[in-house]
Amino acid sequence: MAEDRFDAIIVGGGLAGIAAAYRLAQEGLEVLVVERGNTCGSKNMTGGRLYTHTLEKLIPDLLQRAPLERRIVKERFSLLTPSSGTTIEVDSAKLGGLYANSYSVLRAPFDRWLADEAEAAGVMFVCGVLVDDLIIRDGRVCGIIAGEEEMEADVVILAEGVNAQLAQKAGLREELQPDQVEVGAKEVLSLDQAVLEDRFHLAPGEGIAWIIRGEDAFGPGANGFLYTNKDTISLGVVTEIGKIPSAQHSMVELVDLLKEHPVVAPLIAGSKTVEYSAHLLPCGQGAILPRLCGDGVLLAGDAAGLAINLGYVVRGMDLAVESGLLCAETVLKCHETGDFSRDALSSYETAIQNSFIPRDMERCGSYAAQLGNKALYDDPAKLIDVLTAVMQG
Amino acid sequence: MNILVCYKIVPDEQDIVVKPDQTLSFDRAELKIGQYDLNAVEAGVQLVEAAGGAVTALTVGGAEVDNSKMKKSILSRGPGSNLAVKDDSLAGADSATTAKALAAAVKKAGEWDLILCGEGSSDLYSQQVGVQLGELLGVPTLNGVSAITPGDGCVTVERTLEDEVETLEVRLPAVLSVTADINVTRVPSMKEILGAGKKPSTILGSGDVELPAGRAVETTSLLAPAQAQRKCVLVEGDSDDKIAEFCRAIRTELQ
Repeated sequence: MAEDRFDAIIVGGGLAGIAAAYRLAQEGLEVLVVERGNTCGSKNMTGGRLYTHTLEKLIPDLLQRAPLERRIVKERFSLLTPSSGTTIEVDSAKLGGLYANSYSVLRAPFDRWLADEAEAAGVMFVCGVLVDDLIIRDGRVCGIIAGEEEMEADVVILAEGVNAQLAQKAGLREELQPDQVEVGAKEVLSLDQAVLEDRFHLAPGEGIAWIIRGEDAFGPGANGFLYTNKDTISLGVVTEIGKIPSAQHSMVELVDLLKEHPVVAPLIAGSKTVEYSAHLLPCGQGAILPRLCGDGVLLAGDAAGLAINLGYVVRGMDLAVESGLLCAETVLKCHETGDFSRDALSSYETAIQNSFIPRDMERCGSYAAQLGNKALYDDPAKLIDVLTAVMQG
Repeated sequence: MNILVCYKIVPDEQDIVVKPDQTLSFDRAELKIGQYDLNAVEAGVQLVEAAGGAVTALTVGGAEVDNSKMKKSILSRGPGSNLAVKDDSLAGADSATTAKALAAAVKKAGEWDLILCGEGSSDLYSQQVGVQLGELLGVPTLNGVSAITPGDGCVTVERTLEDEVETLEVRLPAVLSVTADINVTRVPSMKEILGAGKKPSTILGSGDVELPAGRAVETTSLLAPAQAQRKCVLVEGDSDDKIAEFCRAIRTELQ
């Protein structure tokens, strides 16, 4: 390898980017990940719940080694008014197949761990560097530009997240519009482990995923979520970004209103805020971008619009990992022939279409619609199925 | 000019949590290179860029000095090589112990003309290590250095004092502690970060250098200041009345 030329450069050290890089390094490719945060995971945010099925393909003993918080065994769904609420709880032990394993995670430790694993497999990481632009010659992406520096590669994988500006420069995306993104704000609250397990009726290692349909209970159109970690609680709200300018409350106040709500307050009493974060997230239009690759370039994760967002359940991490892995498989094929044209890379688009991703994106949309079907409420078994699916995204 | 730059690996202060009993939790704290030490590194790299020579980064401490991310981090900022002394007895060491260990390490660092330190460590900030190291090595020693110009067998330094700038010519070898405003530290580029992994780094242990026995300072407790209840009295405006009201409120509290 020449000093500043790589087989692949990945922009963004989140789950999609690390998964792609890790897989490529396993096959001996020279791979560089450029991450704008000072460490991988430092700019990322999740609610958050990780379905581990896709990462387990990459790391078979993931469940034994990864810094996972709690295995989700209970799903709780609440409908709130400003002063009251009703709650349904489902035991998710009945779930099987792809979604049998899901865990609460905190991105800062989790992504850092995954990056360390990838680095041990041979991936090179450059953190604290923002990629400003792409090297594009005759319509073909040939590398990246950061400040005064250029770095070239056979292929560039853009895993840069929801506000994918390089994907725009590559002509694969339009500029993000306010109605295409929501904003999530989250606090991590520390609570004694025994108290936490007692309050949520959890055995050690077990966790709860709780989604809260707020409507106007604590802010116009805002919904909430709560996930239990080892000795912390992740609690936050999601709202449409277009509603913020006219909103009565700031994001910070929305989180406070949720914390003060009579249904939530007793469960978090005595906890202390140890972390605060906010992030953009893609709205669930149920549509994958029409084009996921160009000459010398691929899109993965949020940058490719791969997320399921029902307004109260947002699921993207396992999709991001899957897309990263599929990117890697396509790059490995192209690496053999040396052809990184759009035609050659388009097998990635086919692979995405044949994966669980479009199926789940569609399925979740249809389940949400079924909740409006009155007949559903006469069939408890069916109702539980739909509710479980809706809660899980 | 061969320059040794001393640095300390410290917990990132933004991740330190004050617990209800005022003790500190470092559980969530990542490691980083002391903020003020980066100014010393930058000063050393600038001197070598101007006058030629080599910069070696030098640190002593516990297991943290063998952290591959920290090695990459320091070497991405310009030094050509890294030399560390690792021993459990040096984890959380006081200033005198650190200075003695550094003086021992310097003997293994080959020929040198100048040693640079930051104005203080990012965690303890005793501002002692640089001056004690100079004393132990028996060479000219200055702190508060806000500019360095290379000369022939000497450097010309400026010290910004309260109401004057002192300019001194210092014979080499010497030990200088630089201020935080001597320069603006650079952000490592992609190529510097990638190149850092290939630079040499040597880790020495108690078998290689003579480490100080015992400590001069015993830490009996480490507590955050008690949180004072604020009165939350706001006086808005800049009229004479408002200023008088503001002063009255302060006087009342002080009585």
